[in-house]
Amino acid sequence: MIEARGISKRYGDLLAVDDVSFSAESGEVIGFLGPNGAGKTTTMRILTGFLPASDGTALIAGHDIFEDPLAARRAVGYLPEVPPLYPEMDAVGYLRYVATLKDVPRSKRKAAVERAIERCGLEKVHRKVIGSLSRGYRQRVGLAQAIVHNPSVLILDEPTVGLDPIQVREIRGLIADLTSADQAEGAHTVVLSTHILAEVEAICRRVILINAGRKVVDSPLDELTQGGQRLEDIFARVTTADDAAGPGEGKR
Amino acid sequence: MRHVVAIASRELKSLFVSPVAYVVLTLFAVLSGFFFLASVLSFDSNVAQAQQFQAFDFLRELNLNDHLIAPFYQVMWIVILFLVPGITMGLFAAEKANGTQELLLTSPITIWELVIGKYLAAAVFVTLLVAVLGLFTGMVFLYGEPEVAKSLSGLLGLLLVCLTYAAVGTFASSVTRNQLIAFFLSLVMLLIFWLLSVVADLGAAGGAVGTNSTVSQILRYLSSADRFEQMVRGLVDTRDLAYFAFMIGTFLLLAKASIESVRWR
Repeated sequence: MIEARGISKRYGDLLAVDDVSFSAESGEVIGFLGPNGAGKTTTMRILTGFLPASDGTALIAGHDIFEDPLAARRAVGYLPEVPPLYPEMDAVGYLRYVATLKDVPRSKRKAAVERAIERCGLEKVHRKVIGSLSRGYRQRVGLAQAIVHNPSVLILDEPTVGLDPIQVREIRGLIADLTSADQAEGAHTVVLSTHILAEVEAICRRVILINAGRKVVDSPLDELTQGGQRLEDIFARVTTADDAAGPGEGKR
Repeated sequence: MRHVVAIASRELKSLFVSPVAYVVLTLFAVLSGFFFLASVLSFDSNVAQAQQFQAFDFLRELNLNDHLIAPFYQVMWIVILFLVPGITMGLFAAEKANGTQELLLTSPITIWELVIGKYLAAAVFVTLLVAVLGLFTGMVFLYGEPEVAKSLSGLLGLLLVCLTYAAVGTFASSVTRNQLIAFFLSLVMLLIFWLLSVVADLGAAGGAVGTNSTVSQILRYLSSADRFEQMVRGLVDTRDLAYFAFMIGTFLLLAKASIESVRWR
């Protein structure tokens, strides 16, 4: 579903993303981990076609993001760190607008919007102006926006950042619901970036850890935590030591 | 096309659910009314004076088109020059500040669709402004008999000027995320375009550039002032139409390039 091939991104002299490759099968839920400024957002922006890569490319659902960008973008649902909402619109109008932009055919648009509203639990607020919604609900509208066109790839950039604990639990539950429902349908891939480790343990089955623009860990979660290792320790080890295979190895 | 319409109608809707559109339209109508009244009163005093001094030659020349409608359009042109940047400043700048640009640029739409959609929204709005002026012109027809074609050619001139200004404003909004910067940037560009012919005249008068030198010809070509004057006088020239089309196309191209440049950096 996703196949990233040697993605690099340079901002002047700064190498923000350095030769990141990975692939994800349909139905996988990947936790994209790393400290702030590691290059998670940049990598995601490249995958969604918002930024070009300085080097490398990626296939989304078989479409090259640079050679066939429109088809690739049609297959992606993206929730940026700041949900892209228009405060003056109501949720229904907004989702209908997004559905049009994402090429949902006119005859299916209404059903697609209703489905997104239902799946994100927006029934009570869908006629309210987005600007008047609580932060948790706004995040839900952002999530609804990402799934309205039923994309095969879902990219979520820090979906729970800045929410209170209850809202975090709600959004996490929502993502878990979405992904489990998705897996029943068998055609969806989710990449979720975060630096909250509990989130990864709660939702993801595979972990990709990025530090200073490089991929340092790429492994199923249960393999990583085998033998009672805590994700937190692994995270601390690979992000503080430059050579990940150094002192940490001894602890195994 | 579907995308263009979706983008344009969302933009217009958001103008009309906020007070912005109503405030702008109301203020514009009030200002137009004020200047229309001033034009009528000045026409009236011209007539009265001419009669008092028995200036029959002047009376014979005095007509509604040249001495009421034309001055009215000329003043409204200046008002529009200050107003259009306010209408266009948010087109792209607001999307950037809002974070919604990420939605637009990750959607399966082309940059052209985006730019045209945004421009279309601005174009519809400025057409409304010109329609307001059309209403005032219509009032003249209720009480007098100005030439229809000449009045329409003046309105067309205003509309073309508005559409060109909207394109300049669209470009200005595409280069920044700050609406105030977009406003001043387009205002300054519009003022410069307005003054180009003045510069050419001054240069020619001082001998810095020849009256028909290449520089002065280029300056005159780029200036919208002379062309607008001609249309108000009732002269619709294909060269002028081509000029407006050229300016609109150029600034929309620049806007497209500027949006795309996000991807080069």
